Parts: sequence; C-alpha cells; structure tokens
Amino acid sequence: MKNSSSYTGIAYLFLAPALILMGIFTFWPVGYNAYLAFNDYSIADGAATWNNFEHFKYIYKEELFHNALKNSLIFLLIVPVIQICALLLAKLVNNKLPGMTFFRAAFYIPVITAISIAGVVWVNVYKYDGILTWFLQALHLIPQGSEGQVDWLGNPAIALFGVMLFTFWRGIGWFMVLYLAGLQAIPKEVEEAAILDGANAFQRFWKITVPMVKPTILLCSLMSTIAAMKILQEVVVLTKGQADTYTALFYVYDQAFRNYNFGRAAAAGLVVTFFCMILAAIQFRFFGEKK
Amino acid sequence: MKLKKMLIVGAALFAGVNAQAADTELEFWTMNLQKFSSYFEQSAAKFNEANPGLKAKWVDMNWDQIQPKLTASIAAGNPPALVNFNVPWVHEFAAQGLILPIDQYLGAAKATYSTNAVKDVQVKGQMYAFPWYNSTQIIAYNKDIFAKAGIKAAPKTFAEFVAMGKQIKAKTGQAAFAPKMSDMVGFFYYAGLPVVTDGKAVFNSPKHVAFIQTFADLYKAGVVPKDVFKMAFEQEIAAYNSGKIAMMTTAAQGLKRTETDSKAIYEKTEVAPFPLDAGKLNLGSWMMDFVIPKGTKDPAAAAKLGIFLTNDDQQLAFSKVTESTMPSTKKANLDPYFQSGAKSTDVVDRARAVAAKSMDNARTLTLTPGTLPDETVMVKKLQEEIQNAVEGRKSVKDALDTAAAAWNEKLKK
Repeated sequence: MKNSSSYTGIAYLFLAPALILMGIFTFWPVGYNAYLAFNDYSIADGAATWNNFEHFKYIYKEELFHNALKNSLIFLLIVPVIQICALLLAKLVNNKLPGMTFFRAAFYIPVITAISIAGVVWVNVYKYDGILTWFLQALHLIPQGSEGQVDWLGNPAIALFGVMLFTFWRGIGWFMVLYLAGLQAIPKEVEEAAILDGANAFQRFWKITVPMVKPTILLCSLMSTIAAMKILQEVVVLTKGQADTYTALFYVYDQAFRNYNFGRAAAAGLVVTFFCMILAAIQFRFFGEKK
Repeated sequence: MKLKKMLIVGAALFAGVNAQAADTELEFWTMNLQKFSSYFEQSAAKFNEANPGLKAKWVDMNWDQIQPKLTASIAAGNPPALVNFNVPWVHEFAAQGLILPIDQYLGAAKATYSTNAVKDVQVKGQMYAFPWYNSTQIIAYNKDIFAKAGIKAAPKTFAEFVAMGKQIKAKTGQAAFAPKMSDMVGFFYYAGLPVVTDGKAVFNSPKHVAFIQTFADLYKAGVVPKDVFKMAFEQEIAAYNSGKIAMMTTAAQGLKRTETDSKAIYEKTEVAPFPLDAGKLNLGSWMMDFVIPKGTKDPAAAAKLGIFLTNDDQQLAFSKVTESTMPSTKKANLDPYFQSGAKSTDVVDRARAVAAKSMDNARTLTLTPGTLPDETVMVKKLQEEIQNAVEGRKSVKDALDTAAAAWNEKLKK
C-alpha cells in the first residue's frame, strides 16, 4: 500500500504539464511585465534601462489614465447585471418546455459571432437614425423626427452604457451555458423534497438553487469581472475610445503599440492587474467556500 | 563509367543547390493589395531576371497585421527586406529607430521623386522610405442634389464649399458632406494654421477658434451628419452611395466603390478638385511607401528592390493597374495617361484627371515627428475637446484652451 506522500508526488506529476504551461504562458509574462514596469524598454535594441518608479509616477499624474481607469471601474456595473440575468435565463431554459433548445442556441449565437461582425451590426443599431432610435421613436419614448435622434455612441454621457449593453448581449449566452451546467448538476431529489415540504418557487430558487450553484456564481463573477476590467475589443469596434469610452486597457494598448512606451504600458497593466486581484479577493470572500 | 556519370550528375545537382542557396531572398510586404497579385508577381519576376542572385518574394497582408508582424519580426531578428508603410508610420518607426535611412542607397533615384513626396518621408533631413503610390482627395457630388439646391458649379474656395453645404441643407434638407473630423491636425495645416510653434501649442488663437466654430455651426445646422466624428472612409462612401450626403471628399478609388455598390448614384456623380485654403495644400493626400526595417539581412539589396518598385515605369504601370492611384515620381505623374480621361464619360477617368492636376499640392498632413512627447494621448485630448466644441457641449474657445493647456503641460516637461 502506498503512503500519502507518494500519492502527493503522483498528484504533482499529473499537475506538472498544466503547471509548466501556466508558468510559461501566465506567470512568466506577468513577472516580465512587472519587470518592464520599472524599466524603459527599447524595441529597437531590446535594451531595458532601470528607472525606478518613473512610469508609476507618470500614470499617477496622468489624467487620461485616471479617466480610463474610472471607465473600466464603471464598466464593472455590468457584472451583477449579467450574472443575475444569466442565472435567471439559465433557470428559464432549463425547463422542459417546447422550443427550449432553440432558445438556448439563440442566446448562445452572439457568443460565437465574430466581434467585428457583431460590432458592425450594433453600430447600425446605435446610429443616430438607426434601429434603436426608430424603435424608441415608434414607442414615443423619445421625440419624433430629427429632434429625437441621438448619436448613442457619440454622446459621452451614454456611450459607455451603449458599449456595456453590447457586452451584455455578447456575454449573457456564455454565462447562461455555465449556469445551465451548474443547474443540471443539482440533484432532482433535493428540489422534489423542497416541493413536498411546501416551498414555493421563489423559496426554492433562493434557498436551494442559489446556494447550490454558488461555485458557478463565483467562477462566472470572477470571469466577468476580469473581462470587464480588461474591456478593449468592444470599445475598439464600437467607438474607438471616443466619447468617454476610453478604458484602462485601451490606455495600455495605446502606450505599447502606438507610443511604443512598453514600460509605461506595463506599469498601467500592472495597476489593472492589481485592481483585478483586489476584486477577485472580494469575490472569494463573498462567494468562496467558508472553512 | 557508371560511377563517373553518377559523379557528374551529383556535381551538377550540388552546383544547382548551391546556386539556389546563394540567392538572397528579398521578401517585400504590401498592404491590402491582393487583387493586384498579377502585377506584383510580374514585377518580382522582372526584378529577379534583371538581378541574378537576388530573389524578390511578394507577400500581401491586411493593414492591421503589418505593424505588429513587423515589430515581432524585428524583435525576432528576422525582418523582411521591404515593408509597405504609410507616411505617419514612417515617422513613428523612424523615431523609434526601427527602420533605416535610405539616402546612401538612392543615388540618382532621389531626383526622380516629386519634391513633396520626398518631404513626406524625410525625418531630420534624411529619407526613410521610397515614395510609392499617392492619392489626393477630390469632391464627388450628386448632380441631382446640387440641382435641387440651385447650385450650378463646384466650389472654388473653402468658404464657398461651406456656403454651398449650408445652401444644400437649407434647400433640400439633406446633409451636405462629412468631413474627416477625426483628424483636425490635418485640417489645421490645410487651413494654414500652425499647431505647435517654438515648443508651445498654438491652436487656441482667434483664427483657430473661428475655423473650428465653422464646423460647430455646420454641425448645429445639420449640414454634416450627427455621427460625423465616427465616420471614416467606409462610412462616408456608404452615406454618399445611399444618397444621404450630397458630396464626398474622396480619392478616385472611392468612386470605384460607388460604381460597384450604387450604380444609380454613380450615374448622377460629377467630380471637381477639392478647393485649396490658406495652407495651399490638398486635403487628405495619403502617400504609400516602402521602408527598410532595421535588422534586414542585406539593406543594399533591399534598397535595390525599393528603387525598382518605385521607379517611373513601375509606378506608372501600377497606376494603370489600379486605375485610381497617382505616382510619386515626377516623370510618371506627367504621363498623358492621367489626363487622357479628362473628357471621358467615365467618372473615375475624370476623377483621375482632376486628381492628377492637383498633385503638386499633395502632402500627407501629419505633425512633425518628435514634436509631441506623448503623441497618442495629446492628439486624443485635442480630438475630444474639438468634439465637445463641435457637438455643442463646450464653447470652442474653452475647448481649445483646455486642450492647449494640457498640451503645454506635457510640452514643458
């Protein structure tokens, strides 16, 4: 009979390939990014010159970065909304009703649609004389004619929310599928017992479904928080960062690939990573397993 | 005997392999020119024939791939011989030391390029690119809308252009044009207004304020579409092709799109030169070129290919293939081909003739490289403030003062 230490050794052996890949593709880039954040890096000759905290000092004073970070943090508003909606949607499509397979597929289609194509469609939805304006005017929610036409992605007061709605549309199907998997893992007997005990639908959802899908909620919340903090593609295809939709990752991209200031980009990236870690810690505190 | 034969065949094969290995491969990348593949394949073959030992190899890629792929290939120490760039990229990469100056390789070829083309790719007195095909903007207008608005001739000055826009909106209710508002620095140069003088931002003078106020007034009156700040090349063509705007400022190749996508509008289209303003420079000229990346194996051979691809004959041949681009060499630009279509029934032919006549004023209007310490952030700030002003969220003076203060804060560091 093998002792526990040899089992541990075998476990690490199984983990080794994944750990090696994570080391190469996750930990090393993060570490190198941290190193670059304290250096001036020249792509011309690959030389890195140590410059202490200069990049951090710069972005600390940089109004554009503050605004970009603020926009990224505002973007986090989407996290609870998308999680609640995805869970409710998963609960809905988990029922054995006619046409549910169609709805599951329909909600998932935006996930697999190329962002560039989805972006073209939504730019037309958001145009000042586009579908959204037409729809709201048809419902008499905004003034008729050119007076009511709004450039939804051009107005700084609302453009970021327009991008958030697009992200919501693209992301909800993905989280719905994850919640669906979580819901289907709940043993039927538990729900049946609750019905026999006289629990109504709301009580069953709140007291049984939510606690039992808590690990899925944690996973989905973490994923959507990180996705919201590093939002970039959606902004690029819809607004190109105009109308106060410039996000922290956009700043990182601009500094690295348009200004070629890789050190400053790395410093900004490190700040974003730091925020992600704090937010992840908070979520583990709320949704993680209590020991 | 058998062995002798084998040795001879073996030696011949070895020699062949050796000769093959001795060829210097010169890979050259172009940007979104796949549909002209036969031109590039023939050009490469012609170059290879005239230059034994050198082997040009053409690779085409999307415009958004070129920069990251080049950066990666330079970092990996394996860049191509030549890369197709636009003028702003030349300045960016030259400032970073990622491309090589080419004067030492040019010799007599330098004199063949037009003066403005040379200026476009000069950084600190040195040329960093081989000037290639060029384009400049003209006005394409919808004759029906002009007739409804009571306009009989195309505008001769920028002031007339603006007045006609207002007249079109007033008489027909339609938007008149969609200027490329995402590049106001270029607009300032077009209007002869400086941007940075003696290390200070100077774009908040009364003249600048009046210039931007013109656009704010046009926006408020609906002469330009409400989403004008988001309209780039594609959206402007789409708006013109669907009859939503009366005029578009376009290069001749833009009209090819109208011909394909909207025949009815194409048949109502006439062309005119875009009027000059105080800067005496065309608006929206955009030159393409070839650069030699740092670290390329044989820069002299790369330059040989660069000179060949951008010589008079090649540039003229390329213009004939595209039917809409202009050469950046003096001689090719004067070829009768460009004026042969002046009286043609085809609008693209007429557009080419109109554009060719204005090539003397063609410059790619960008900021002098190295002027701004944090260019992307600073240009973005200026654009945001101009958008605030034009869309009426701020007064023009306040917006330009705010942007100038932000620029000067960075410039004094």
